Amino acid sequence: MLLKVTDLKAGYGGSEVLHSISLFVNEGEAVVILGPNGHGKSTLLRAISGLIQPTGGSVEMDGRVISDLLPHDIVAAGVIHIPQGDLPFPDLTVMENLLMGAYRTEAWRERKQKLEQVFQLFPTLAERRNQLARSLSGGERRMLALGRGLMGKARILMIDEPSLGLAPFLIDDVYATIREINQKQGLAVLLADENADHIAGLANRVYLLEAGALVREGSAQELLKDEALLAAYLG
Amino acid sequence: MHVQDLFQAAYSGILYGSVYGLMAIGLTLIWGSLRMLNLAHGSLYLSGAYLAFALVNLKVVHLPLLVSFGLAVVGAGVVGFLIQFLMVDRILGKPGWDTASLIVTVGASIMLQSAALLIFGAQRKAMPVLLEGRFRIGAMLIDYHRLMIIGLGVVSLIALSLFLRRTRYGLAIQAVSQHMDAARLMGIPVRSTFWIVMFLSAALAGLAGVLLSSVFELSPTAGYNPMARALVVTIFGGLGSVKGTIWAAFIIGLLESFLQVYAGAGWALPGLFGFMIVMLIIRPNGLFGLGEMQRL
Repeated sequence: MLLKVTDLKAGYGGSEVLHSISLFVNEGEAVVILGPNGHGKSTLLRAISGLIQPTGGSVEMDGRVISDLLPHDIVAAGVIHIPQGDLPFPDLTVMENLLMGAYRTEAWRERKQKLEQVFQLFPTLAERRNQLARSLSGGERRMLALGRGLMGKARILMIDEPSLGLAPFLIDDVYATIREINQKQGLAVLLADENADHIAGLANRVYLLEAGALVREGSAQELLKDEALLAAYLG
Repeated sequence: MHVQDLFQAAYSGILYGSVYGLMAIGLTLIWGSLRMLNLAHGSLYLSGAYLAFALVNLKVVHLPLLVSFGLAVVGAGVVGFLIQFLMVDRILGKPGWDTASLIVTVGASIMLQSAALLIFGAQRKAMPVLLEGRFRIGAMLIDYHRLMIIGLGVVSLIALSLFLRRTRYGLAIQAVSQHMDAARLMGIPVRSTFWIVMFLSAALAGLAGVLLSSVFELSPTAGYNPMARALVVTIFGGLGSVKGTIWAAFIIGLLESFLQVYAGAGWALPGLFGFMIVMLIIRPNGLFGLGEMQRL
């Protein structure tokens, strides 16, 4: 088990949003958390990456507790969170954004190779490497966010809503890229998604999140086949 | 209107500009990353100046001038770091940040100024110049010392720009200023990045103090005027914008110098503030101000 979340509780300003969440991700696995908007998917990822502090429970990485660490130490443990909305640094160039993804010392030493890999995966980023991030289109920003996440020494990539705000013809590409990262590079992936349309060839296991609690868990095959279930939870 | 008055005004203006730039850059970096208006900045100028004065007049051991000045600059940086580490860190991320940070920096400023008064007394002190001598161009006398101040100021500003744009830590400071949560997700340690910002900014203010106090007076209230100028420059250049601040520094420096030469010294400060108000009406974000205000 690579990432293990046990009875995690978290919220904002005194109200609890996540109620005792327990889940795990194994090495090389692609796990998807499915749930409607506003039910806690982002909160869950933010609680794992340390942007918000959990109020109960624990998160372990490789058997080591990380839930009491500050975000930059959680990154050092190999947990890379690619947030909803991309959050680029608008007045830094594409290249500078990517370099910031490799800020930690171990990643910084390998930054040249990593840049090569990212540019191979996303040739558009290579073309636009000296452009300011604020001038990128939606699809390019998504690529930048993914590329930036790949610059660190990730043991697991947590991606929040990869298709959010993208034009339909770009969405297939994004999932294909995530699939390639997971299957060819063997990098574990934890995806938070609001619909199940594109995860069929990608996910190994799926959790259903409703109102801050995990209500179902199973292999992707069984859950994705159950159309009635999906319709009930995702509307 | 003599041509030589014009050159004199321009020359002084560039001098002011390079020193104000040193102070204002620090203010803008602190605002950009911490969203804090560092009202202790004038007293950091003071710290640099008084540390230099103390080191220069040390009886126990005779230090070369450059060493004294260098140590004073580092010392000012340490003072800034201590303000951050001991005081500001306590209130980081807590509610009421906007007011609390103002109170804390004003408090630090009062403490530093009182310390200067207690240790050194209220009387004006004389500071030695780095280079004696002057030369002539036409009817104008140019001090080597003032030329060196301009040189040091410009070199420092260039060095800082390079640091911000070409090094990992400089980029990290920009990243934190542009989006703090995203910076955290890159593994950038925000708290210690703030320490670096405060140390650098304070060292620059201290350098301004060391440089200018040999031209003007050194007394416990010597920090006010540079602070007021730095504030005008920072706001005019656009809070958070390093490029804007550098432009603004020289524009304001020249403006003040011309006001002094052609309207009289008393018009300088009111003129500057009046100019700033007009500019803010036309361009509320300053010359190159950060468009969106992102809260901590």
